[in-house]
Amino acid sequence: MLEIKHTLCPVCSVGCGINVVLNDGDIVGTFPYKRHPVNAGKNCLNGRNSIECYKNKFQSAIVSNSEEDLDKAIADVSKEIKSADSSKVTVICSGNECIEEIEAIKNFAESNGFNLALYADDLANFDEVASYDEVADACKVFVIGDLLYENPLIGRRIVHAKQNGAQIYALVKAEKSVTGNIADECFNGSVDEFLSNNDFDESSVIVFNQIDSPEDLDKINALNCKKLPVFSKPNTKGALSIIDSKSKEELTELLDNTKLLLVFNDDIVEDIDFDFSKISKIISFATCKNNTTEISDIIIPIKTWLEKDGSFVNAMGDAQTFNAVVESDVLSEVEIIDKLNG
Amino acid sequence: MSYVLAKSQNDDIHKAGECGGAVTSILKYLLDEGLVDGVLAISPCDDVYDGVPTFVTDSEDLMKTAGSYHCAPTMFGDLVQKYLFDKKIALTAKPCDMRAIEELITRHKVSRDNLYIIGLNCGGTVPPVRGRKMIDLFYEADPDDVVSEEIDKGQFIIELADGSEEAVKIHDLEKEGYGRRKNCQRCDVKIPRKANLACGNWGAEDGWTFIEINDEKGQELIDGAKKAGLLETKSPADAAVEGRSKVEGIMIKMAKNSQKASFPLVNEMDDWNRCISCYACRDVCPICWCFENCELNKSYFKDEANIPPTPIAFQGVRLSHMSFSCCDCGQCDDVCPMDIPVSLIFDKLQKKYFERTGYVAGVSDDIKPPLYSPEKTEL
Amino acid sequence: MISNLHYTVQKKPSYRGDLMSDDIKIVGLLCNWCCYGGADTAGTARMQYSPNIRIIRVMCSGRISPSMIFKAFQEGADGVFVGGCHIGDCHYDAGNYKWSRRSKIVEDILEEFGIEKERFCHDWISASEGEKFQRTMEEFHKTLTKLGPLELE
Repeated sequence: MLEIKHTLCPVCSVGCGINVVLNDGDIVGTFPYKRHPVNAGKNCLNGRNSIECYKNKFQSAIVSNSEEDLDKAIADVSKEIKSADSSKVTVICSGNECIEEIEAIKNFAESNGFNLALYADDLANFDEVASYDEVADACKVFVIGDLLYENPLIGRRIVHAKQNGAQIYALVKAEKSVTGNIADECFNGSVDEFLSNNDFDESSVIVFNQIDSPEDLDKINALNCKKLPVFSKPNTKGALSIIDSKSKEELTELLDNTKLLLVFNDDIVEDIDFDFSKISKIISFATCKNNTTEISDIIIPIKTWLEKDGSFVNAMGDAQTFNAVVESDVLSEVEIIDKLNG
Repeated sequence: MSYVLAKSQNDDIHKAGECGGAVTSILKYLLDEGLVDGVLAISPCDDVYDGVPTFVTDSEDLMKTAGSYHCAPTMFGDLVQKYLFDKKIALTAKPCDMRAIEELITRHKVSRDNLYIIGLNCGGTVPPVRGRKMIDLFYEADPDDVVSEEIDKGQFIIELADGSEEAVKIHDLEKEGYGRRKNCQRCDVKIPRKANLACGNWGAEDGWTFIEINDEKGQELIDGAKKAGLLETKSPADAAVEGRSKVEGIMIKMAKNSQKASFPLVNEMDDWNRCISCYACRDVCPICWCFENCELNKSYFKDEANIPPTPIAFQGVRLSHMSFSCCDCGQCDDVCPMDIPVSLIFDKLQKKYFERTGYVAGVSDDIKPPLYSPEKTEL
Repeated sequence: MISNLHYTVQKKPSYRGDLMSDDIKIVGLLCNWCCYGGADTAGTARMQYSPNIRIIRVMCSGRISPSMIFKAFQEGADGVFVGGCHIGDCHYDAGNYKWSRRSKIVEDILEEFGIEKERFCHDWISASEGEKFQRTMEEFHKTLTKLGPLELE
């Protein structure tokens, strides 16, 4: 039977709504969610493809590249955890998890004395951020990163700002940039130069999804305008309100000192340039294949976002809840942590 | 073709449904008699602005689809073609749904024998998010208090929980960029005459639904629903028939006026320089059905490094594939993350094609669009 | 077949220099049974025509889809010529009727994209009409020289 259900797009931190089409209980496609205030039924290609992770998900636990019974695999993980020196255990969590899960992971790491790390694209949580409507209503919009291409549904607000008569200033690093195409002025060079060569005032908004160095963040924070950092994962903003993020340097330092790495629903190998073969054991809790699971010793399958209930905090700070689209007997991260805690 | 006024014999349906509740009653008849596996209709999910296509297999569940929702610019063609093509179904269809399905039938993607189509006259739909903003700006009411909306006599009318009503002229709303979707403003097909039945309130007395019976299958439906005790009918007065065609005439005239205003040349529009090649317009298009096999996915056309794409290599190719079958449903505009008015050029090309061939997508009786007909004729 | 165009037509340099008529690039899609033979006849008879045309042989003009024309323009062609059999002579009965109808759509679409309708030309040329092929090519080349190179944004 055909069913259409609401959920949230899990691709980036914009927080778009998306409808999922189910046929006889199978996820078969997406459908525009036109009532959703963030995106009014518009989804980018990544958003519409996000359901692929459900089709490609791990069907069983994997230990040393071969399928393994889940209970046995979890027992293996427990054994590894118990036998390890807790100061040399690092737990990575990410913006791919909902608030409830991040809290559970934090408790788990703290109660066992493990290191806990979160990578937030080298961006940080700002106390006050511009709302998407404020981007559209701004007089000047400053853009760092190709927002139109990478976060199209915020890019759309920049387009609206332009249509409302705003000036758009873009820092364009790549040879081609869609944002550059609509900008009134394009700059190339460093973020630092971009910030010092432009005038910011209360009617300006700066929207960015990348920076050069941590110092740039302080400079942006000091600007007399509204700011909107946009993260690459749906709940990074929510995660940052629970856990402090680590920069690439801090993470590298931490990984240097790590013997056992537990990665919760993240692809740290993709994000960080580090020789992971230095770590003796890597355990991934993942939905489907990624660069990290490729080098993991143990992979424990977890619920995809389509199978769980939870809440995400989007880039502008709105907490949005979503419900499972399909029923599944895969364990959630919270349930797995309960098992690990005994 | 004949006209009839119909009213539901079921009190609950009559109360919940629009006008006489005839549509819901006919759908109930189809389900109860086992003539169809299910019914595809709209039902509100979170609120009245959130019309979601719902497939109903038990007539007990039909009540949630009763009533009309103007803030639900949905498209059924795609759903029927992708997921329901092998089932016997009944569906409610706005003119654009009907035109899309008609084009899909032409392409052998959907079988007419599998479908009972209850057409709905349509004056246009309002995009939900913008619609809420519009109510916030132009009405005294809080958008959350609205229980139903209605387009009548050139006004967009909202009804509140306490039973009171507020109305604003559509013309005034549209002047400010609100009101109906742009392609609904342009649309000059207001009554889906290719459907088995075309139902609506134009020309109807209070509490009755005016139905235009378009074919034998439609007549059988009315007769069957009457026999099953679900429907009561009477002949409309001549004045009612005239009133209805007058409303249709005014609507079409309004549409023609909006058509005069639009349609720039593609290379005069600077909107294309923000295209991000997400293919949302293609994927949502009810006429485009090739999906993975689409020519745009072929290695010789796929140009991933080139973003935004050269318009002629992207929209040009799509235009040549299906613009002559464009039913101007506006889905491509609705889903474009960059708000590019894609449907403008497709509708424009369909109109050019009409001038050359007299073919109106999903309305003309041709078995095949002239471009694909094997006949030995030149244009 | 379309992928062949990659090799046939090089991407145009972006500068707008003085245009030599030699720089004009014409893609010719010719039907195997008639127009291709016509070109052959012209060649065998040593009739002179502009060397700017790159010929792609197709089995029937009815096989040509509008996207091939667009692809040629996008890849840098300044003009596209399509040659088919005379109406009534189609080797496959009605292929040229199909092309004839399709060509109207191509015209309508090209107009939208700011490509002058003179840049797209089609004609019926039989295998014996070597002279007509020569004449058509010369005229098309002259028209394109007048129009100059095509600048797609």
